[in-house]
Amino acid sequence: MSIARIIASVVLLPSLVACGSPGKYIETGGTDSIVSVGEVDIQDLQVAASGMLESLIAQGTLKSAPHQPAQLRIERVVNDTSSAFDVGELTYRMREQLVNSGQATVLTAYGADAESPEAQERLRQQAFLEGRTSVDTLEPDFFLTGKITQLKRSAGNTKQTTYTFRLTLTNANTGQEAWTKVVDVTKQGTRNAVGY
Amino acid sequence: MNPTRLVSMVCLAAVLAAAGCGTVNTTSTRTEPATDSIATRTQINDLFNQIFLHVRDVRMFPAKSGVLQAQIDVANDGFQTRGFSYLVTWLDASGNTLPGPSSTWKTSRVAAGGSITITSVAPGPEATDFSIQVRRAS
Repeated sequence: MSIARIIASVVLLPSLVACGSPGKYIETGGTDSIVSVGEVDIQDLQVAASGMLESLIAQGTLKSAPHQPAQLRIERVVNDTSSAFDVGELTYRMREQLVNSGQATVLTAYGADAESPEAQERLRQQAFLEGRTSVDTLEPDFFLTGKITQLKRSAGNTKQTTYTFRLTLTNANTGQEAWTKVVDVTKQGTRNAVGY
Repeated sequence: MNPTRLVSMVCLAAVLAAAGCGTVNTTSTRTEPATDSIATRTQINDLFNQIFLHVRDVRMFPAKSGVLQAQIDVANDGFQTRGFSYLVTWLDASGNTLPGPSSTWKTSRVAAGGSITITSVAPGPEATDFSIQVRRAS
């Protein structure tokens, strides 16, 4: 092997090894995040949760609840899109803000599919021992329901997807809709990209 | 008119016509500044961004629930539609950052010659001020 070839190999080898991007931490949902044209990304869920919360806080619906902080029961939020993700990614972001800021409490020991069956059973036992027929402290003021849908279109190689996040609060005492909000997230492109 | 001058004028007309494509003309019935407009201070790190894409007006007023709501007009004085990302951070009276739903990067686009209004709601009654970071889309 000639000297020149050896030198070339030594110079080129590290550059070949360095090809591709090494793993790194980025801000979750930040501007370095991957943008997927046909999937729901973490930043989409953050934007949706943010839009929902801002609307809910601005309207002051929770302040009208008989209980303060308002007692909230999270019902079904249906993911009717082809993108596989847990709807808890949306609702937990909202819960965190509402519960930690003292604007609402989420009843986790209420209903047929209580999040915490153990706590529900314990409350039932307590109520029974005290001669009560119901766990009257767990009366929700509002039920939260929702749906996430998608609308896909394409023109040539360009794909476009609109994800629509809908949430509704139903007043538990009147059965009427107390608040509703729609947040649209539309993405367009020919392929996924890093950063936006 | 000599040929060189004619060609120059045709080229100039073509450039101006191209620049005008998709540019927004705005007509407004309000000629006075909004009563809720507030003074702002901008730290400029991206001069190019500031020339074409800039915050034109900021208004702050109580929402229906009593918490503050901000409306920020971002104007595009350039010749093409521009995308941008923004992050709104709310502060309490002491200047401390408040965690809230707005603390996430969002994106928007504004047509050439037009403006768009970004809205943000304070996370709670303790919020008194806010800051907004605007950056060009990559």
